[in-house]
Amino acid sequence: MAVDESGRPYAHPLYDTLDHFPGLSLATTSLDRLLSWSATNSLWIFPMATSCCAIEFMTSAANRVDIDQMGAVIRPTPRHCDVMVVAGTITVKMAPRVKKLWEQMPEPKWCIAMGSCAISGDFYRDIYSVIPGIDTVVPVDVYIPGCPPNADQVLVGLKRLQEKVELHRRGLVPARDGRPEHDKMIDPAIGRVTDADRDASTTEQQLAASRDLGLGGNSRRASDTPSSRQGGVDEEAT
Amino acid sequence: MGSSTSHGAAPPPPAPTRDVRPLRMRVNPFLDIDQYDPEADLMALNMGPQHPSTHGVFRIKLFIDGEVVVKAVPYPGYLHRGVEKLCEKLTFAQLVPIVDKHDYVAPMTNEQAIVRVVEEALKIEVPRRARVLRTILAELQRIASHLLWLGTFTLDIGGTIGGGASVMMYTFRERELILDLFEMLTGARFHYNTHTPGGNRHDVPVGWPERVKKVCDVIAARLPEYTAACTDNDVFDLRSRGVGVIDAATALELGLSGPNLRASGVDHDLRRDAPYHAYDEVGVNVAVATDGDCWARYIVRMAEMEESLRIVRLLIDDIPQGPITALKPVKLHTQIKVPAGQHYAAIDTPRGELGTYLIGGGAEKGAAAFRLKIRPPSLHAMAALPWILPGNTVSDVVAILGSLDPIMGEVDR
Repeated sequence: MAVDESGRPYAHPLYDTLDHFPGLSLATTSLDRLLSWSATNSLWIFPMATSCCAIEFMTSAANRVDIDQMGAVIRPTPRHCDVMVVAGTITVKMAPRVKKLWEQMPEPKWCIAMGSCAISGDFYRDIYSVIPGIDTVVPVDVYIPGCPPNADQVLVGLKRLQEKVELHRRGLVPARDGRPEHDKMIDPAIGRVTDADRDASTTEQQLAASRDLGLGGNSRRASDTPSSRQGGVDEEAT
Repeated sequence: MGSSTSHGAAPPPPAPTRDVRPLRMRVNPFLDIDQYDPEADLMALNMGPQHPSTHGVFRIKLFIDGEVVVKAVPYPGYLHRGVEKLCEKLTFAQLVPIVDKHDYVAPMTNEQAIVRVVEEALKIEVPRRARVLRTILAELQRIASHLLWLGTFTLDIGGTIGGGASVMMYTFRERELILDLFEMLTGARFHYNTHTPGGNRHDVPVGWPERVKKVCDVIAARLPEYTAACTDNDVFDLRSRGVGVIDAATALELGLSGPNLRASGVDHDLRRDAPYHAYDEVGVNVAVATDGDCWARYIVRMAEMEESLRIVRLLIDDIPQGPITALKPVKLHTQIKVPAGQHYAAIDTPRGELGTYLIGGGAEKGAAAFRLKIRPPSLHAMAALPWILPGNTVSDVVAILGSLDPIMGEVDR
């Protein structure tokens, strides 16, 4: 029976067929190494670029710091890409779109939160229209701190992600987090530093605002009724 | 190829005549299409909010008839961060790193706008050394901002494969030189936090003026390369000349400012008409073009870069000695207090007139603003889109949007 580097059996029925031929298990092991190597070194990036960090992300794709040397290609469509780089502040109005674009990406997929706004909301975490970090919407694999991070720090973050992808293919990293998922948001993965001034209900309000926005997403369409289609956006939000 | 004299050929359609009435007498394009023309059988095309050519998160709904845009309705607000509300909670010294993030391509001029309204309210006389340094920083920032604009604009109209990416690589090469100068002065590539009410926070380091002069020489030597890549390029000419024309009356009525206004033939520049910093010492030759199309906006920005180089070279040789800040170092930033009253100050940023309207006397008897309103130039440039997009093709929408140089952080705030 064909196994991969971590000893797990292959799930694909083609490998069971190949297993009947002598010597091919060795070939599939080498094939798996080849696949791991290529998956690690050809991460295509979908730039979810909204604000300041987008300019620095462009700089990382320009000539002084070249992200192409990591094998990364920037494609502006989610269906071609493996990695979503969230660069910039995500507002309540934008969060359902980010979620929708994340759902359009094929598995396996990864997410990098670039900059302090995408990590925790930073200055704007107490503001009514900004969500406190992108990991309340999509699961994040690598955090790149900074406001904004320098262009070379993007390469460091991508290097960390490559290591994680390699470990994941060997089965050394546990499965993706199973945090409870609401309609549009999930509970944050890491704890938040809270101010003394910050009202405890602010987080709940931000979560509720995004959850009740009622825009886009497959979950809304499933529960959609013909009567609710007649109203405008404001009526759907209630 | 059929000739125009062949029998049975339909006569060419008449050229669309421009509506020359004032804006208030035309049909409001912001209305929804149903209320606008119920008989129309048009296709609605959503562009954005995630689109590589909208310069941020901007959504515009295009109603198209074949390839031609009939009506365009913009929907901003995908980057609304509630900054004006946040500014009512913070003290004036804390505002500077917040307003850095409005126009994230030109943070230096944002800081100057916010500290200038506080200085006008408190009637602080800024030392001449700080004023000269602010002028140099503003002009260097203008060059860096226009370089980034040129790179993204050519990327918009040329595409990655069509040669636009080459110009972007060239412009980012020179932009990095200016960011290095800022990093040497303030320690940050972005979001400098170097201005403070009354002066500047970082003094000129040793060897900085010499490096500025070297960078100016390098950029002056490389500006002809952009001329060779863009002005002499037939594709660039075809995509930009005569596209997205804004006449002078419409531009004034919409409140355009900066290079977008000057490209329409209106000779207006706050650096010359209401001088601040040290602009009255150097004088500013304002670049004006008359066509009002994408080509004119490109020509105006290229001329502004050369003018900025002239101002920087004029001032960098003798930066006056003396203190860099008028106030004594404040121990608590709550010591800066603005009494109740209305104050307004505006400066000319790379994108146009950035005004700040402040009502003092906020929290703790004036330690914060009661109300702070920012008048962003990009918002008014975006407001021009419904008036100039109809009649253009879908591919020209990207060129017109890019030529207006919008920054979404400034539009939505």
